[in-house]
Amino acid sequence: MKKFLVPFMLIALLFAFNAFAETPPIKIGAIFNLTGDQSSLDAPSLNGLNLAAKEINAAGGVLGRKIQVVSLDGKTDQAVSTNAALKLINVEKVVAIAGFSDSNYALAAGPIAQKAKIPFITTGATLPTMPDQVGDYFFMTPYGDNTQAYVGAEFASKDLKAKTAYVLKDAAMDFTINLAAYFEERFKKINGKDAIVLEDTFKTGDQDFSAQVNRLKALTKKPDLLYISSGPSECGIIVKQIRAAGINTPVISGDGFDTPLLIELGGKGANIDTYFTTHASLTSEEPKVKKFVQAYKSQFKTAPENAFAALGYDTMYLIADAIKRAKSANPSAIRIALAKTKDFKAVTGTITYPANSRVPLKSVAVLKVVDGQFKFVKSVTP
Amino acid sequence: MMNTKTAKLYTIVFLVFGTGVLYLLNRFLSPYHMQIINLIGINIILVVSLNLSNGFCGIFSLGHAGFMAVGAYVTAILTIPAAKKFILLPQLPGWLASLQLPFLFALLLGGLVASICALVIGYPVLRLRGHYLSVATLGFLVIIQVFITQMDGLTRGARGLNGLESFTNVWWIWFGVILTIYIVAKVIHSAYGRGMIAVKEDELAAECLGVNLTSHKLLAFCLSAFFAGIGGALWGHLITVITPGSFSYSQTFNLVVMSVVGGMSSITGGVVGALLMTLIPELLRNLESGITLWGINLPPLYGLSQIILAIALILVILFRPNGLLGRLEFSWTRLQIKSLFRKGGDTTH
Repeated sequence: MKKFLVPFMLIALLFAFNAFAETPPIKIGAIFNLTGDQSSLDAPSLNGLNLAAKEINAAGGVLGRKIQVVSLDGKTDQAVSTNAALKLINVEKVVAIAGFSDSNYALAAGPIAQKAKIPFITTGATLPTMPDQVGDYFFMTPYGDNTQAYVGAEFASKDLKAKTAYVLKDAAMDFTINLAAYFEERFKKINGKDAIVLEDTFKTGDQDFSAQVNRLKALTKKPDLLYISSGPSECGIIVKQIRAAGINTPVISGDGFDTPLLIELGGKGANIDTYFTTHASLTSEEPKVKKFVQAYKSQFKTAPENAFAALGYDTMYLIADAIKRAKSANPSAIRIALAKTKDFKAVTGTITYPANSRVPLKSVAVLKVVDGQFKFVKSVTP
Repeated sequence: MMNTKTAKLYTIVFLVFGTGVLYLLNRFLSPYHMQIINLIGINIILVVSLNLSNGFCGIFSLGHAGFMAVGAYVTAILTIPAAKKFILLPQLPGWLASLQLPFLFALLLGGLVASICALVIGYPVLRLRGHYLSVATLGFLVIIQVFITQMDGLTRGARGLNGLESFTNVWWIWFGVILTIYIVAKVIHSAYGRGMIAVKEDELAAECLGVNLTSHKLLAFCLSAFFAGIGGALWGHLITVITPGSFSYSQTFNLVVMSVVGGMSSITGGVVGALLMTLIPELLRNLESGITLWGINLPPLYGLSQIILAIALILVILFRPNGLLGRLEFSWTRLQIKSLFRKGGDTTH
């Protein structure tokens, strides 16, 4: 044992020197699923978050202190995610935690932060009921699914002049079930009770949609619009099979369609006629967006993969802004400042938390597939 | 040689001492460290019960996560307060919607329903042997997954149940650990347990000696499922969210790996396997986030812990195919035998 003791103490000393070398940084925790199924959404988010922290530090930090991101891998596993949250809070002593693009993991880690009174800001999970389920320390950077579905329904009714709609939803995901329900609610409110001609379902992982397409073709009352509530892995295949069957009705969906897979698998011809609502248009000419895309490119040698990268970036600035306004890095002070966030200019739109709500009021971008690219159509602030 | 009376006394002293240590740890350790201690406990329950069927009785089951799911869901549905159930599960039938049981009863019922499932699928499936049996139990896991995903009104489908009451604490878990080890040990050392081991060694020979194959296998399988159900329920009320994905193949394989690493045919092996395979990934995590030493930044390497564990598993399989402990079993008497070992030698165990 003894021969290990001296080197061990030396290492411990080095760590100690490192820690006291400068004024202690403000520690922000990050939990993302960097390995496993969720990593295609979460890894860009963490990149965005780190990029923002780097920029903030380069500009002198917050309250004269640097920001240190302590990032742990949730491994797309709920138990691992809760361990990570506990570790960040109790061992790393972070003042706030950001993370996750899926409610299953945010709802596992969130209550732990709530109990310890540490603000938890989800970068990408869009289930609007989460903050009420977890408590007053739980915030969302993205809009809730109700907002994007409402915008989708209004865009369909007003801009696309649809009176009737067909809805296809993935019955295996919280996100897609809610999205479809919110869409139907608003669409029926505008166009009357019988506006939904058919609601059909499929399951995550399905590859053959011929049964659904046949039922759609057999409808006597043809819909003006198809609302496809699906996640990223199926969206391209569905659009392709619908178009291959000769149905040319416009398709609209939510941010599950915000993936390169839509074009790779769905096709890019003029007949794809597909719209979707998402957090931001990364091809927008807005200076804030352009600056972010450029910084991301020079840091990671690739364009931002999807809007989740921008959401991670915004979350870091959102936290830094709250710390600045609170003039303190105390978790409770940060929570109070976060709740008062108003007209905060972010890449993914302007963030305001209405009174007693921790789901932001935010603009929703409507995009259309044109020539193999996502083209910005309009931005709607509900 | 120590007699059984002294051994019993040792055990009681150890339990009292252990309780005191747990009390102090619970008092002074951070919630993070307690969470790891609790997860170790839950994994011990799961792996020791898995060893009963896989290791001792030779039923190589891959359905353990399925039984966990049954236990977790049954217990959750029985303990969610009626007011919350109304919002979370509005389609629940009336009698179930208003039912709210104390955690203990719900836990036992969860275990019971899991073992009833084991009985129902075990009766036809346990006629199979070897790989066929493993695949059949894997089939059970698939059925349970599909069932939970489809029964939307009962389970909220793939969305899972969230906001469960966090009933599980260090006492529930470690009492469960002691109970599991005690019952499994009792069964193994009974005539019935010897029968199970005989079944594993050679089914034909065991049958010739008058061992009833079906009843022995079924008992091992159902008992194993009972504790899997309890373990799953404790897990669910510790994490407070359960989804069908929580009890997937990867959960089953995690448990099988723990069991294989520790030693499938040993209770002590199960404990050691669960302990190591819960603790090591958490420790390796410190490497993953990247460290700064002498101003040199080691970049974060996420996924490193999985790779290291996989390599460790391969090494264990290569060099200790029967697991770290093989068939060795801890006992107070063995401690004495071990100390005599250097002089003479004793190869029995």
